[in-house]
Amino acid sequence: MNKRQIMTKVLIFLALSILAISNIYPLLFVFMNSLKDRTEYLKNPFNLPNFKQLAWGNYETMISQFQIFRLFGNTLFISLVTIFFLLALGIVASYAFAKLKFIGKNVIYFLIISSMFVPVQVTIIPLYMLFSKLHLVDTHWAVILTYLGVFLSEAILLMTATFRGIPDEIIEAAELDGAGYFDILRHVIIPMGRPAIILCVIYYFIVTWNDLFTPMILLTNMDSRTVMVALASLISRYSGDPTFQFAGLFLAAIPAILVYAIFQKYIIKGIGEGSTR
Amino acid sequence: MTFSWSANFRKKKALQGILSVLPVIFVMLFIRFYPIGEAIYRSFTNWDGLYKNDWVGIKNYIEIFTDSPFWTLLRNSFVLLISVPLQIFIGLMVAVLLYEEVAGWKFFRAIVYVPQIISAVIIGYLFRIAFGLDGPINGVLRDIGLEFLSIEWLGNSGTALFVLVFCLTWFSIGWQAIIILAGMTKIPPSIIESASLDGANFWQRTFLVIVPMVARTIEYGAIMAIVWTFTGTFAFIYSITYGGPGYETSTIDYMIYTKFYQASADYGFATGLAVILLIIILILTFAEMVFTNKVSDWE
Repeated sequence: MNKRQIMTKVLIFLALSILAISNIYPLLFVFMNSLKDRTEYLKNPFNLPNFKQLAWGNYETMISQFQIFRLFGNTLFISLVTIFFLLALGIVASYAFAKLKFIGKNVIYFLIISSMFVPVQVTIIPLYMLFSKLHLVDTHWAVILTYLGVFLSEAILLMTATFRGIPDEIIEAAELDGAGYFDILRHVIIPMGRPAIILCVIYYFIVTWNDLFTPMILLTNMDSRTVMVALASLISRYSGDPTFQFAGLFLAAIPAILVYAIFQKYIIKGIGEGSTR
Repeated sequence: MTFSWSANFRKKKALQGILSVLPVIFVMLFIRFYPIGEAIYRSFTNWDGLYKNDWVGIKNYIEIFTDSPFWTLLRNSFVLLISVPLQIFIGLMVAVLLYEEVAGWKFFRAIVYVPQIISAVIIGYLFRIAFGLDGPINGVLRDIGLEFLSIEWLGNSGTALFVLVFCLTWFSIGWQAIIILAGMTKIPPSIIESASLDGANFWQRTFLVIVPMVARTIEYGAIMAIVWTFTGTFAFIYSITYGGPGYETSTIDYMIYTKFYQASADYGFATGLAVILLIIILILTFAEMVFTNKVSDWE
């Protein structure tokens, strides 16, 4: 490498570092200020907290009074059950779309995929009325069902594309060995379609964990609210103590960030592949 | 493999296929297609969710177009669309920088996507605090002697929309960068290398060599970003401006939420808005399909 190339590399490194700081700093800002008390925060929000007396009380109150972990439980239940049914329904349907021949297959596939772009806002009021007739409003099932409707088409698109890449010969060989429908799913489709399945799990965990609109409309009572709904209503009170709110926001950011930190390779790859189709 | 394709076997497979997609069809009919139809039908009624449910023709639509903040909502969405070229331009720059694979580029690639992982509730709150009257941004402006710039950013439509555009751009750069980078890895490296050897500078290489090669990816990113701006910004608007002042930063999807919670429960009107939103999205999706077909014809 000559001098000019080295200079270019250094400049690129610096530019990317600036971008990285701009992406990381907000979380750091939230964390630092969650460890201050109100007056300390108002004096200078950019200062480091006073390390001799960190305001862990913000977190204590978040956990004991605001009961943030119970809210975590609500969100977690919705996320995991949604993912379970997305996979349970999505894998069998995608297998059929990718590998089985039946009448009307292409029409059905087209109809399901074409609903992908219909935003949830379009259907939310009719759904709310439907769920209220079924006494499902304020239950997590209303949110789970709505999510299934919105996400199934996307998940099926992704998994069908991946399952199509599984060679027919492997399935036929398994059938020669006497494998039935569920054997093929279990021993061929699921292991070989693993990248798409893992991507679905991670991606929809993050999306459902962070979502606000659907649970805010469908969950109105305090006990069933998700963590984002509860925090959105907490921060909408202007009089609230910002450092206390920061503690809640920081805790709520951790699960999605953690999942991303562990599985970021799958997500980056999946997002990239989805785009180029 | 003709041995296995006996009539019986085919029948069995077809039955398996139909049974496999049946649960999805059921869920989609119940949770997706029925509510879409319901929304279209109810938009022609004075539905309030309880007692009133009379056919009123296009009265809701007339009200939307003539006697409602609809045009403000549409204007706001179009202003927010300013973030689309910004995020694509910066995302492209970031993708080109990441492509050089300098030390730690995988770490940078992971960090670039981080805003997408943070909930809009958290991001929105930070932007609201940052641009508050006594917030950090105004504090810094006052400290460096730009007192006259320390205004109530979220208090009037122009600057409040600017804050939203800023926020949506910051949020979306990483997504654009990652998909453009993925598109770039499909370009044979020799093409980009030879451009450098031929003495093309950074800008020439980016816009004359790379951009034409990733045109499809950029176009996909643009359409998705436009659709998202119409449908995905609720949580940002809610946590930064609450759609205010007045309706000055509301969008169509935000107004559906507002109408839902208003005491008058004018669901006919709200479903009318929903139908208009649906039509906008359908036009955009259709445009994308036409456009992508055209692009593949060129190849």
